[in-house]
Amino acid sequence: MSVLSAVPLAAETAVLWVALLIPSLLGLLAWRFPPQRMRPLLLVITPLPLATFWLLHRVAMGGELEGVWSLGELLLYWRLDGLRGLLLLLTQLLLLASATYAVGHRRAIAVAERTFAGFWPLLGGLATALGIIWVAADLLTLYVALELMGLCAVGMMLLPGKQAALVAGMRYLLYALVGSLAWLLGVALLLGVSGRLDLSGLAATTQPGTVTSIAMALLAAGLLLKAAIFPLHGWLAPVHASAWTPVSALHGALVVKASFFILMQLWQRLVPEAVAAAWLLGLLGSMAVVWGGLQAWRAQALKQVVAWSTVGQLGYLMLAFPLLAGTSAAVATLAWQATWLQLAAHAMAKAAMFMAAGNLVLAAGEGRLTDLAGTSRQLPFPLMTFGIAAVTLMGLPPSAGFTAKWLLLQAAILAGQWLWVAVLVAGTLLSAAYVFRVLRCAFVEDATRQEVQPLPAGMNLIALLLALAALGLGLGADWPLALIRAGGMP
Amino acid sequence: MSLPEELFPASLLVFLAAACLLDRHLLRACLAFIAFALLMSLAWWRLDAPWLALVEAMLGALLTGLALFHGLGYPGTRPSLPVHDQERRPRHEAPVRWLAALVWLTLAGVAVWGISGDGELVASDELTRQPLLATGLAIMALGLWAFAHHLHLLRRLLAFNVLGSGVFLLLAGLAGPSVEVQGLILVGLVVALIGSVLGAALLRRLHALDGRVTLGVEADERR
Repeated sequence: MSVLSAVPLAAETAVLWVALLIPSLLGLLAWRFPPQRMRPLLLVITPLPLATFWLLHRVAMGGELEGVWSLGELLLYWRLDGLRGLLLLLTQLLLLASATYAVGHRRAIAVAERTFAGFWPLLGGLATALGIIWVAADLLTLYVALELMGLCAVGMMLLPGKQAALVAGMRYLLYALVGSLAWLLGVALLLGVSGRLDLSGLAATTQPGTVTSIAMALLAAGLLLKAAIFPLHGWLAPVHASAWTPVSALHGALVVKASFFILMQLWQRLVPEAVAAAWLLGLLGSMAVVWGGLQAWRAQALKQVVAWSTVGQLGYLMLAFPLLAGTSAAVATLAWQATWLQLAAHAMAKAAMFMAAGNLVLAAGEGRLTDLAGTSRQLPFPLMTFGIAAVTLMGLPPSAGFTAKWLLLQAAILAGQWLWVAVLVAGTLLSAAYVFRVLRCAFVEDATRQEVQPLPAGMNLIALLLALAALGLGLGADWPLALIRAGGMP
Repeated sequence: MSLPEELFPASLLVFLAAACLLDRHLLRACLAFIAFALLMSLAWWRLDAPWLALVEAMLGALLTGLALFHGLGYPGTRPSLPVHDQERRPRHEAPVRWLAALVWLTLAGVAVWGISGDGELVASDELTRQPLLATGLAIMALGLWAFAHHLHLLRRLLAFNVLGSGVFLLLAGLAGPSVEVQGLILVGLVVALIGSVLGAALLRRLHALDGRVTLGVEADERR
């Protein structure tokens, strides 16, 4: 067992685990008694981010928290530092947004209350699983949380019950199951070599070699499949086509990124010096940026544009691998900060964009881009939200997307890896292309429109707040970046 | 335990896995899978993991078997799915999947050979390890082939379950029946069960909706 650098205080530990488990309990409660109004739900969930905020404050003051649970002979490790705390905070804020949005969404799509009730326990399970993924520090806990997250996500995608949703969900299920077997095989090899499962122990005992590389390759394959990184992204766009908006928002914002987070942690601990493999991941990311952008540009339906843009934006995260492998400390710090800032910015902007797109489609009653003609006059509010979220996705100042890409650009130039500069430029141009294509369709003036369906005001407000938060994160990036720096790289 | 004593159950496991994955008669394939899972449970018992044996028998054989039968339309007055798999994959289709399966298998083979060849195994009970590793690799190969090749969703679910069992055997062979291994396999069994139940229920719904038993056009898989 590793020596614990900081003995966690009982109060902090208790607060952390209560904050992790509360969403599941609330979800079960909401299954039985589905919430009818947005405001009570807001009041019930708001203590969660506040508790995490307090934890973050404690972490900033007294260093990171670590701990071990023992389950008989089995030891389970967890750890909370600045980065993990910020990710937890982000998860809870997005949970708050999507849960509140879902209440309005159910009223707007007029689905039976019983049909929609299944959404709540799955949402709670998903939030708990995400939280555990952020704080887990051994492969067994990560495996449990990853599977819980995947199964909850599949379940939520199936809820609409339409044929397209079922087919897409079935494909997602098969891919996710096989991905987790690849992950399990990788874990088996690591366990065979070193005999341990905790991350710090693995980092200390595994030697670089053929078996470690193969184990990492299998782990990476499973995680890349779950993270929908090019060329394993085939399941992503169909799944979003028929999913409910709050599900899409949470999935595009966080679920795919949890796998990326796990991969980054394992990579940093097991094969930090594998430059060739890191470049391969970077190249995959570059292709994702280009391919996702092109497909988003070509897509016919509004939700497909947003889903394909996720494929592209995830590619930027992969650029961190070559910039962190064997580069100078200055480059690594820049790339590290850029990656997590990009993750947070994209999470909020993508959730906002899915919600804005969902609102547009619901209100206009049409999902195709060409049918959006004339919405600029009738639905200015969701369209403006879409535009603000797009500012972050394109990486225009003053958004957090701009700050993240600026840091990434600096890192790439400083390291002399010019290829990524070209990728960043191409990605920005492509995202501008697909965003302006949507806006151009919406601003066609001579179209005659029928009535639009009125939506609860809260739905538009939540989307707008998220989009503004992504914009504001760029201005107030100092606080999270300081926390990430203090938390440091693994 | 001597080598021949190990060899018989190992070859029976591989035979049952092959029977389950090769048979186009779905009912027989499901029965073969249940026999396979029971034999897996026996293997855990012999590895001094009685709890794992119990869970494998309950979740792997009983509940997964029930889920598969439910997917086929049993119990009921008559089966809602045709019992015979008529889907035929055209030759040379889905080369990417074949490549992925092959790469997976090669990587696993090289790694297992690397670990067992260097005597790096944490515990060195060679006599029980070698058959476990060989059986695990063979079963994994069968599962990968079937998952890449079959179109029928029930057969893909069977392939996934067999593939999972192969990975569990490798896990036990590589690291012994330690508490971590048992924990990982337990979680894996629960996940496989939930996946099978969900998949079987979905298959039945899809078949009821439009009579399909596959995911459908390959084109949208390549998109």
